[in-house]
Amino acid sequence: MPSTSLPKAIEASPATRSSPSVVQRLVSRPEFGPLVLLIVEILVFSFLSSRHSVSEAFLTSFPSFLSTSNLSNLLDFTPELGMIALGMTLLMTAGEFDLSVGSVFGFAPVLMWTFANTGATSLEVGFLLAMAVAVIIGFVNGVMVTKLKIPSFLVTLGMLLVVRGSALYITDGFPQRTWSASGPLKDILVGDIFIGDLRFRTSLLWFIAFVAILSYVLTQSRLGNWILAAGGNPDSARARGVRVARTKITLFVLSAVMAAYAGVTSSIRVSAANPNSGTGYELEVIAMVVIGGTALTGGRGTIIGTLLGVLILRMMRNGIVIVGVPGLAYNIFIGAIILGMMALHSWLERRHHAGT
Amino acid sequence: MNNDELVRMEHINKYFGRVQALNDVTLTVRRNEIVGLLGDNGAGKSTLIKILSGALQADSGDIFIKGQKVNLADTVDAIKLGIETIYQDSALVTQLSIARNLFLGREPIKGPRFLNRMDQEAMNEAASGLLRQVGITKDIPPTTPISALSGGERQAVAIARAMHFDSDLIILDEPTNNLGVEETHGVLRFVRNARDSGHSCIFIAHNIYHVFQVVDRIVVLRRGKKVADDIDPKQTTIENVEKIITGLVEA
Repeated sequence: MPSTSLPKAIEASPATRSSPSVVQRLVSRPEFGPLVLLIVEILVFSFLSSRHSVSEAFLTSFPSFLSTSNLSNLLDFTPELGMIALGMTLLMTAGEFDLSVGSVFGFAPVLMWTFANTGATSLEVGFLLAMAVAVIIGFVNGVMVTKLKIPSFLVTLGMLLVVRGSALYITDGFPQRTWSASGPLKDILVGDIFIGDLRFRTSLLWFIAFVAILSYVLTQSRLGNWILAAGGNPDSARARGVRVARTKITLFVLSAVMAAYAGVTSSIRVSAANPNSGTGYELEVIAMVVIGGTALTGGRGTIIGTLLGVLILRMMRNGIVIVGVPGLAYNIFIGAIILGMMALHSWLERRHHAGT
Repeated sequence: MNNDELVRMEHINKYFGRVQALNDVTLTVRRNEIVGLLGDNGAGKSTLIKILSGALQADSGDIFIKGQKVNLADTVDAIKLGIETIYQDSALVTQLSIARNLFLGREPIKGPRFLNRMDQEAMNEAASGLLRQVGITKDIPPTTPISALSGGERQAVAIARAMHFDSDLIILDEPTNNLGVEETHGVLRFVRNARDSGHSCIFIAHNIYHVFQVVDRIVVLRRGKKVADDIDPKQTTIENVEKIITGLVEA
């Protein structure tokens, strides 16, 4: 390949980069750490829970952690937090984050049910109105961050309080009636689907679809390149003609819409629209995203990693209870996983760039 | 005004508060010419090229490109008009690959428009060719992130980008800072290559020796004023130019 007619310009640089093997490429991917962790977690919980309930494991030849009823439960809630995490992944890749998602998760269903219960609109129109309000919330977040140059931490913290306060105010703090939760909206968002014994919901299909779409957007599309550049080096991205502000505003809107959608889905599934629901979700979602390998500082992100991060934390919560660890100890494990994964990512990063 | 002229900045004035950073500066760059812009710290070099690259706006004065009066409101305007600026930190996104950086903001799209799909094969292919063109003969895959490259290689990528998108004028602001000896030679060679392939350059460097090696003409600024315009590096000595820069001798 080296052509002798061209000047050999640069010689004083590190040794030749031979093309890495398949194994090396796999290991150097940011999703590798979380994938290993997820596999270890499944193995540990399967093993511990099968010891824990020997009789059931004997009868069904399945450990209870992997039983169909437990999997069904696991898959109920996973898409809801997962949807928020997908939106958050793109936003964090662009160098911003959104603390208001938990309150939007609580506010959107309250709004929808208030419209429906007062007879002001049908449930479907209420749903669309709630989503439109989410668009406005995300848009305001985005404009304040990009045009007024206020850090997203402060903007979305303020928005968290405004939105949560609105939810409490319009409901007087009481949960909304939701027992009329049936009809097409329910079937579309969280209808039941059975495969043998395994029951899951249409929300899981939506989640999978969004994983595929947003993964495509981030890795294949031009918008994805802009998202990465906006998080990596916004000034040089702007100098190249990338519309950094518009990209970020779009992602703030996406984040809020995903949170509202997840909240509505959740309220229909559990038949409750509580103005306080979703409290603390923002931090759990950010934890899922960073465990998956997305950088808090922007410029690097992975949807598949986030999918793994969501599964890791949901299985942790579920598995800990099943193997008999007190549920209150959950946060100890989550915190330890976050610290461990951060240490692993930083170690891999340094090893990857060793010598340059 | 002749046809040979690529860029002409006329009677540029710029104030920062009450400090006059540029005082009636006129600068021309011809086609296929490398102009060395020299001056002590605070002489106004950076301010002048920031105005030309659209990052700052002059308080008064006009800019002509190929004889047309232009208004450079931001860096995007300047890039569209064929003026690329390569800063010290080379303005690349270190997390992105070489190919993604080369085409950032101008990514080729394939397939239906609404799918917004980047043509990554075409990008990688063009990037490989460009890297060879600027003299990186080592086998660096175009998917390598910038963070894995050395300082000289990064400058090479930035120069490759400027050359690929048919920039008429490439402004290099201290491109040899923080580079090793070999890498510096590499960058100087890219600059000569750029001229040979039909680009003009403005070369700004603290190191007068580097400037002397590549430029056709030296312009000197002192305290916001142009004090020399037409120094031919072949007709003078480094000591002489140093005296002009510090003000010991009038040009």
